[in-house]
Amino acid sequence: MRTLYLPLFLVAAHVPGVAAIEFNRDVRPILSDKCFGCHGPDAKTKNIPLRLDLEAEAKADLGGRRAIVPGDAAQSGIIQRITTTSKAKRMPPVFTGHEVSPSEVETLRQWVEEGAKWQKHWSYLPVARPALPEVKQGNWAKNAIDRFILARLEREALRPSAEADKEKLLRRVTLDLTGLPPTPAERKAFLADTSAAAYEKVVDRLLASPAYGERMAARWLENSRYADSNGYQFDGERYMWRWRDYVIDSFHKNKPFDKFIQEQIAGDLLPKATVEQVVGTGFNRNHRANTEFGIIPEEYAVEYVVDRVETASAVFLGMTMGCARCHNHKYDPLTQKEFYQFYAYFNNIPENGRAMKYGNSPPQIPYPTPAQQQELAAWDAKIAATQKAIAAKSNEIARLQKDWERKLAPASDEHWLPQTNRRVALGMEDPEQTRANFATVQFVPGRFGKAVELRNGAYLDAGFETGNFDIEDRFSIGLWVKSDALPDGSLFSMTDDKPKGRGYAVEARQGKLHIHFTSDFDDDAIRIDTEAAVLTAGRWQHVMLTYDGSRMAEGVKLYLDGMPVGLKTELDSLYRPFTNAGKAFPHPFRLGAGAGPQRRFTGWMDDVVIWTRVLPADAVALLGKGERLAELAAKPNVKRSKGDERQLRSAFLETAAPLELRNLQSRLNEYLQEREAFERTFPTVMVMKEKPTPARAHILQRGEYNKPGDVVEAGLPSFLPSLPAGAPNNRLGLAQWMTSRENPLTARVTVNRLWQMIFGTGIVKTSEDFGSQGEWPTHPELLDWLASEFMDSGWNTKALLKQMVMSATYRQASQLSPELLQRDPENRLLARGPRLRLSAEMVRDQALAAADLLVGKVGGPSVKPYQPAGLWEEQSMQNMYYVQDHGEDLYRRSLYMFWKRTIAPPMMVNFDASTREACVVRENRTNTPLQALNLMNDVTFLEAGRKIAERMLREGGNDDEARLRYGFHLVLGRDPQAQEIEVLRRSLSYHRDYFASDQGRVEKFLSQGEAKIAAKAEPRELAAYMAIGNLLLNLDETVTKE
Amino acid sequence: MSIEQTRRSFFRKGATGAGMMALADLLAADERGAGDVHPKLPGLPHFPAKAKSVIVLFQHGAPSQLDLFDYKPGLAKRRGEDLPDSVRQGQRLTGMSAYQEKFPTAPSIFQFAQHGQSGAWVSELMPYTAKQADDLCFVRSLHTEAINHDPAVTFIQTGFQLAGRPSMGSWVAYGLGSENQNLPAYVVMVSQGTGNTQALADRSFGAGFLPSKYSGVKFRSGADPVLYLSDPAGYSREARRRYLDDLAALNTLKHQEYQDPEIATRISQYEMAFRMQASVPELSDLSSEPESTFALYGPDAKKPGSYAANCILARRLVERGVRFVQLFHRGWDQHGNLPKEIRGQCLQTDQPSAALVADLKQRGLLDSTLVVWMGEFGRTVYSQGTLTETNYGRDHHPRCFTAWLAGGGFKAGLTYGETDDFSYNIVQDPVDLHDLHATMLRTMGVDHTRLTFKFQGRHYRLTDVKGRVVRALLI
Repeated sequence: MRTLYLPLFLVAAHVPGVAAIEFNRDVRPILSDKCFGCHGPDAKTKNIPLRLDLEAEAKADLGGRRAIVPGDAAQSGIIQRITTTSKAKRMPPVFTGHEVSPSEVETLRQWVEEGAKWQKHWSYLPVARPALPEVKQGNWAKNAIDRFILARLEREALRPSAEADKEKLLRRVTLDLTGLPPTPAERKAFLADTSAAAYEKVVDRLLASPAYGERMAARWLENSRYADSNGYQFDGERYMWRWRDYVIDSFHKNKPFDKFIQEQIAGDLLPKATVEQVVGTGFNRNHRANTEFGIIPEEYAVEYVVDRVETASAVFLGMTMGCARCHNHKYDPLTQKEFYQFYAYFNNIPENGRAMKYGNSPPQIPYPTPAQQQELAAWDAKIAATQKAIAAKSNEIARLQKDWERKLAPASDEHWLPQTNRRVALGMEDPEQTRANFATVQFVPGRFGKAVELRNGAYLDAGFETGNFDIEDRFSIGLWVKSDALPDGSLFSMTDDKPKGRGYAVEARQGKLHIHFTSDFDDDAIRIDTEAAVLTAGRWQHVMLTYDGSRMAEGVKLYLDGMPVGLKTELDSLYRPFTNAGKAFPHPFRLGAGAGPQRRFTGWMDDVVIWTRVLPADAVALLGKGERLAELAAKPNVKRSKGDERQLRSAFLETAAPLELRNLQSRLNEYLQEREAFERTFPTVMVMKEKPTPARAHILQRGEYNKPGDVVEAGLPSFLPSLPAGAPNNRLGLAQWMTSRENPLTARVTVNRLWQMIFGTGIVKTSEDFGSQGEWPTHPELLDWLASEFMDSGWNTKALLKQMVMSATYRQASQLSPELLQRDPENRLLARGPRLRLSAEMVRDQALAAADLLVGKVGGPSVKPYQPAGLWEEQSMQNMYYVQDHGEDLYRRSLYMFWKRTIAPPMMVNFDASTREACVVRENRTNTPLQALNLMNDVTFLEAGRKIAERMLREGGNDDEARLRYGFHLVLGRDPQAQEIEVLRRSLSYHRDYFASDQGRVEKFLSQGEAKIAAKAEPRELAAYMAIGNLLLNLDETVTKE
Repeated sequence: MSIEQTRRSFFRKGATGAGMMALADLLAADERGAGDVHPKLPGLPHFPAKAKSVIVLFQHGAPSQLDLFDYKPGLAKRRGEDLPDSVRQGQRLTGMSAYQEKFPTAPSIFQFAQHGQSGAWVSELMPYTAKQADDLCFVRSLHTEAINHDPAVTFIQTGFQLAGRPSMGSWVAYGLGSENQNLPAYVVMVSQGTGNTQALADRSFGAGFLPSKYSGVKFRSGADPVLYLSDPAGYSREARRRYLDDLAALNTLKHQEYQDPEIATRISQYEMAFRMQASVPELSDLSSEPESTFALYGPDAKKPGSYAANCILARRLVERGVRFVQLFHRGWDQHGNLPKEIRGQCLQTDQPSAALVADLKQRGLLDSTLVVWMGEFGRTVYSQGTLTETNYGRDHHPRCFTAWLAGGGFKAGLTYGETDDFSYNIVQDPVDLHDLHATMLRTMGVDHTRLTFKFQGRHYRLTDVKGRVVRALLI
């Protein structure tokens, strides 16, 4: 006989006619889903006069008729229209595809009859701290969570389940808090610990482990659509793994979550922001980025901002703001204008809609690894020590320098040129340094000694090495120029010497200077002009270009006679290197040429110097003066400026001091140079950066980039609290607002997501949507209690998780009964413990851990473990191959797997990982044959099966039963039952016979993966056990948190 | 081994008595529908379906309508003339030709002729398709919003330019399920062309916000037609059967203790996996096909992974009740060297595409199978790069392009829609991609406004908020 149970009404919790109606719980969901699409916040744009989302309008007199007449359903328009038999009048209209069910009609009718009481949407009301409810079985409750859960169970006449046994509990909590299974030793220790605090000790140990940080980060990567590639068409590699390191570390150190949010949203704007805090803003840069050649950059710049808004609003606020991009939100009170006000916060960043094809796109900052930070500190120490050694000799130096100064010949052309990173100095004294082309050039007296005279199309070819730089190199190029007329024509270049050529160049245009870095003239270039004519006729002037390798116009500086010059950017869209990877640029560094024969320079040039670093402005200022050392030396001490002193000291130490001092100085220069080179190897992270102007945006009509409407200032939706007092109206203020006590959403949304992580489903099931279309919380008071507790604790994530896993609710056994299956199939009321399939990365990490293959290293660049051959080749372009790693990198935790957005790791996708194309908040679990094939036949799980077999044989004892038991301990963290052992024995015996009959099978079967086969193992026996090891990994229980 | 045999052997060798009885109950319940591998949604189809299956022959990279189907005889005398502004109308161009100083009109160098009773215009590049013209419904007035490959493919495949939404195959699998319990509902095959190639993202056949089980399953040539399908070396089919019996025995014990229906589902998914291990190789093994098949599909037909071989597989999938099959053939992005490259692409695809239509027809399957040939947009009438007597290139052109559809309730021998003299703008009967989707769904018995999925508070559909059924295209 089957007993029938009444299923629970979880969503529409109201059973018509039974209990009092609550608007938010019972009525709003119906109105929202069935009516707001037309009669909601966006009604006006559609010229629909009636709004049902606003109480006043819904009850207003519409010329004798009213949609809602409180207390009188029969007179209420909405009741009439949803019940009429007239097809023409019936609401909702057929074309909407919606229908109001009879029980919904009854709910609405009862609500109107009872007075049509209205409520503000629940999630926009402040978080209050509810009192703990009274319960009958008070002694069951271990903490506050249980009181709320039990109160509801008692109301539904359900009993909580018994506590899960220790083995189950240990595996459950270890998986939940670290993403890994418990080891046999941990199991043993826990079983042996009979103290009352045994479980709590485990919880504390797990929360303190680095694996906890990785486990939490894995979820955060999905929320924040982290990937190692740009997505869209070409999908080239990017480098955000240092941001991932930062996330792991933040969770591991239990950074207060409000601080974490502030860093994610606006770390760059925090007062005295540290590098780590700036790195946090990488959250906003994890979106896809388009590098396709033919795109219109403005279009994608808009998409990136929208993506940032959608992600931040879903993750932190549980809002589907993206719905208001093209029109007012259909369900929530968010206008299109408010969307663009919110958008403005994320729009104030200097970025290009077309991203870099390879590598990170600006803005970005270097973020050295801890090891690199150490090495850098070592460099700094060496540099400091050398500077100290020089300083220690300052008296001696001063004395010797005086002698040298006296001896300087008054007519000497010697002048100061910084030596560090100086690549070449073309003084024009030695014509051999350059090769003159097309015409003979003269070397005539110039600014210092000789200069070159360029006439009639002549130019100098300074060779291939001299100025060979690409778009990520840092360099400075300075020279002296003079012309009888207003200077005109190419000054210097590394280009193919054509009008719209490739490469970089500086060209004089009637006294103005034009700078370009060009990969493709049309739209892959930086073009900059000086605002005014800066060169004049008839005198020597010093020109200095510096470039910081950022591929951005703002990384280019130009100085005239040592002073920075105002620049105007015409195009700022450089993204491809001048040359294809590895190839040398096929044109030399030229002086007086670069834009073709028509644009040759006429005049004189002198003292062309190239450095492989960005010279600081103060050094350029000195160079721009072009003072001879003899002139400086001739000044009496009191008349000398600091700059004069510096030039003399530095020139003396670099060129004229006794050998010992010169060595000391050149060692210092070497260290500085090497430090600079070392710095250039630091990984970078794409981050946020704020333009100096206030955050603004255009309202985009229909959401389209090329239909800009009114300009709006950054601002918050009017139905939510305003900025906290004193907060600036920028991203920082936004972050402060999100994390303020008054914000009704952030804490609720956060605790709900953590609840979802532990219990499988959020208290609000729609964890990404707390709006009108979101689901009513199963335990609204509990949600509020947790949110206020979380905020009161200083947004202490570990404390909150601890409360959850310490609860009696969490510790229940997860068996179902026919009653529970019928009444609460989704386990929303938690009359039993959670039983859910593991996430993709846990499925793999668990197998590696059980096999003792897992490498515990935390952080670092992404790795490429096993993947079926050919997947990238058959879908990608320009020969992108998946080059699998070897050794340790095959066995890192799955959150380190290289994530290519357009071709994601197949095992991860099979097990429902999000594809990282967009933010995903809710967890998704399916059960498919592809998962079965994956676990049975993927080398990852076969190799793990073999290593588990080796462990069973080596560590498990001396007989089959003990070894099989040990296999259970390794994979499932529990002792098997007799029947289970019986099945495994039978399987083992079958496989022994199977492999005995054919030695060839043994070798083939064992040859899975790159991990060595244990030398001691007898192959046939190992193969039989390997089948068992893999079988264990395929059990339902194994891929389930139970 | 047939399914019945596997099931019997399963019961014979399986777990202990009581447990097996429970499992037998479980699996029986499964067959009544609870565990139907590919169930359809309640209430679907909305209308009697004409097309039971769909095969999309996606020509990835965007083939030139001007050189294949959209005949413009008037262009010959305008060769090299700048495209009149009155035609271009300030149209948005890709970043690739936006800076071009001239837009020289480039007439196709290929000969066109009318074919069949319907008199459809087809160029000499497609002789086999031309012969099949009376079975095809040409739509020359398709247009799209996107101008670059990635958003355009995403748009035509999912109804939206940005990532995140389900592909049409996923929608159909979600709505209508599938009739074969041993094969996936939505199968995808990729072949490589000889022309300029674009990247193909997983999302083009992904499930978007639908559960991932509705994603297209990629069939590949080689040892593992489906990822992880083959048992490891040294492991036999019999051993796998035993392994699964033991696995099921253990899972059944678990089910007895926990009564979680997910466990029962897992057991049946492993059984489905086992069946797929037989059904997929059987499907991919073309050795049982007569020589006449290979003759029909052309010289590549015996080459695994070729477009021709994939066309044969598409027919075999549809014969077995698979709901949605999509081929992607890459290499249609002819920015330069169009004449040479398009010839190569057509050599690979023309005969097999036509053969598929003919083959389905001769087997009586064309009426119940919709075949769609299309790319993601069209190409420009003006030459990208230098125009010479024998060479030109064409840039992306979203404002008009041609697709053909066959079978599945579409009108045979119809040419629909018209473009201007430059194949630049549509002058009659425009069909946007939402309309195309709506019409395709309609022949499958689905009202496109009523196949929805609630995500982030909104009821999404393939046709977004647009789409109208183009009745003129349907029988």
